[in-house]
Amino acid sequence: MILDYILRRLGLLFFMVLLLSIFTFSLSYLFPGDVLSNLSGVSNTNFAQSALLEEKYRVNSNYFIQYIAFLDRILQGDWGVSFASGDSVFKHILDLIPATLELSIYALLISVVVGVPLGILASAYYKRWPDKLISSTAIVGYSMPIFWLALLLIMVFSLKLGWFPMSGRVSLLYEIPASTGFILVDILLADFPYNGMAMLDALHHLTLPTIVLAMYPTTVLVRFTRESMLKVMDQSYIKTARAKGLNRGQLIIHHALRNALLPVIKQIGLQFSTLITLAMITEVIFSWPGIGRWLIDSIYQRDYPAIQGGLMAVSLFIIIATIMAELTYTLLDPLSRNQAHGKV
Amino acid sequence: MHLLDIRNLTIELQTAETTIRAVDRVSFSLKEGEVHALVGESGSGKSLIAKAIVGVLNERWVITADRMHWRGVDLMRLTPEQRRKTVSQDIAMIYQDPSRCLDPTAKIFNQIAETLPEVATTGFFLKRNRARKDRVKALIHKVGIKNHEAVLDSYPHELSEGVCQKVMIAMAIARTPKLLIADEPTTALESTTRAQVFRLLKSLNQLKNMSILMISHELEEIVNWSHGIHVLYCGQMVEAGPTQRIFSQPRHPYTQALLKSLPDYEHGLAHKEPFYALKGTIPTLQHLPIGCRLGPRCPQAQKECVVAPKLSKHHGHSYACHFPLIKEVK
Repeated sequence: MILDYILRRLGLLFFMVLLLSIFTFSLSYLFPGDVLSNLSGVSNTNFAQSALLEEKYRVNSNYFIQYIAFLDRILQGDWGVSFASGDSVFKHILDLIPATLELSIYALLISVVVGVPLGILASAYYKRWPDKLISSTAIVGYSMPIFWLALLLIMVFSLKLGWFPMSGRVSLLYEIPASTGFILVDILLADFPYNGMAMLDALHHLTLPTIVLAMYPTTVLVRFTRESMLKVMDQSYIKTARAKGLNRGQLIIHHALRNALLPVIKQIGLQFSTLITLAMITEVIFSWPGIGRWLIDSIYQRDYPAIQGGLMAVSLFIIIATIMAELTYTLLDPLSRNQAHGKV
Repeated sequence: MHLLDIRNLTIELQTAETTIRAVDRVSFSLKEGEVHALVGESGSGKSLIAKAIVGVLNERWVITADRMHWRGVDLMRLTPEQRRKTVSQDIAMIYQDPSRCLDPTAKIFNQIAETLPEVATTGFFLKRNRARKDRVKALIHKVGIKNHEAVLDSYPHELSEGVCQKVMIAMAIARTPKLLIADEPTTALESTTRAQVFRLLKSLNQLKNMSILMISHELEEIVNWSHGIHVLYCGQMVEAGPTQRIFSQPRHPYTQALLKSLPDYEHGLAHKEPFYALKGTIPTLQHLPIGCRLGPRCPQAQKECVVAPKLSKHHGHSYACHFPLIKEVK
């Protein structure tokens, strides 16, 4: 039963990725400019090079053969070269995506660690001052554009107080060899005398972008958890459990939390796509060397192979994350686990 | 001594404009080992009374009572924590929609195990665990579920309503309560399961001396084994007394109408013969009539009925009517 479900989800994943690849493939033809240079990223070629590229990209065959060739190249990691740098797009993405992931994962972690308990607290003190305080703060955070929040934080904490640096991942003093791309992991792995200092510095650099990025998902989770808890606390089975003689703490821990947090898990998965979008803005503001900033730069520079590759990588990532979140949700929820076919 | 003694219980709902009095000065009492039935149409406030006793009503409802004594202790004067303890120890309640009253994400075993009273068990974790398992198994057998392994390992949505109701009963009797409040326990069940549930409740009453407050609108089911009946209409107690007296000589027109509406299978029913019913419907809570709330529908209503009648008592049989059906013998 559950294996069946996982297989169906994986089937869905497969078709989504297939559609995504078709879309990416068609971009080369939809973008202005020469198809061959859009695909390969090589422009201003001489005759011999053109002939070679034509052979490689099969531009003289029909679209289907071209698409198959495209898939083949994608799978081999040959995503063309960037107009701007002349380097392989795939290598760029591999280098940059860990920085974005790192930022997003920390932000998501913080939003879960802060948002969910605050939501529970607000629901436990429904309509009393903790609830009012949390809810109104959440509304303020929710409605604040994050670039503005970022600028405010930079003004106060970087320029006025000088507590946190305003850009970059780590101070130039430290030369961190990139092995995983996750800065904190890299520092731990790299073996050099100033390890602790470098760690502290990296954490300092991380603070402001993480706070900015975490703001939106945190407020969403606060509001969502609160609503969910209030809804669950009003259910008959909670009343039954209360009549059974459980006290408030037991009631919340044994019955309310599990039921209320299930939709929250789903919500966390849904937040991931928003998070990546917001990460792009954050990266631009904090000069964070992630894929978002690179993608936006590529758009400015009309670097079509880079746009294609970046879009594909980011979308692939979001699709996988969404499906993973849904799988987790289903594994945890006994009700949806037994759901029959035909539910998306 | 009375097990439960309630005097002038009033339950009101505060709305923006007015206060709606959903239950109006209801009094009744219950002795140990007795089965009492609270009878009335839907919307007459039966469930509200039950929930007020157990204390699971929302904060929206305002509950006032001259007294609500449980074995001599006034529940209204206890702190919420004390009240929760007292109530959970001695009173259990089963509901009309059992599957919605079970936590959908917890297995049946855990839900039953959590109602077990904390016994001072000695021994290791494993031993305690086994003792718990045995207790749960015994409980589930007691309520007539035979394949305990499958049931205990299921989630509520995997079971039928009847099994869920039996699980609810198992949970209710886990602490061997003095009083079991059954709030329309059989509405969601089909007739064979319904009979099983009633048999189970009856045997609990007879073997364990458990008092039962039965909330129902099925008179036939309870007439044989209940000691007293309280008839409610629109939140007012219209008549109360020993079951046999209520059945043989109802004093209140509403009780009479209720009894008349039972189809009489013994004398045979004509083809498509209409059942007897009072004209009109039960008024909504926003538009309650003043005085006797049955007034507009009552066949005997007269001018005096705009003043709420006092409850008059006669040999343990009380009724609230200006014009009772049988004149009292002086």
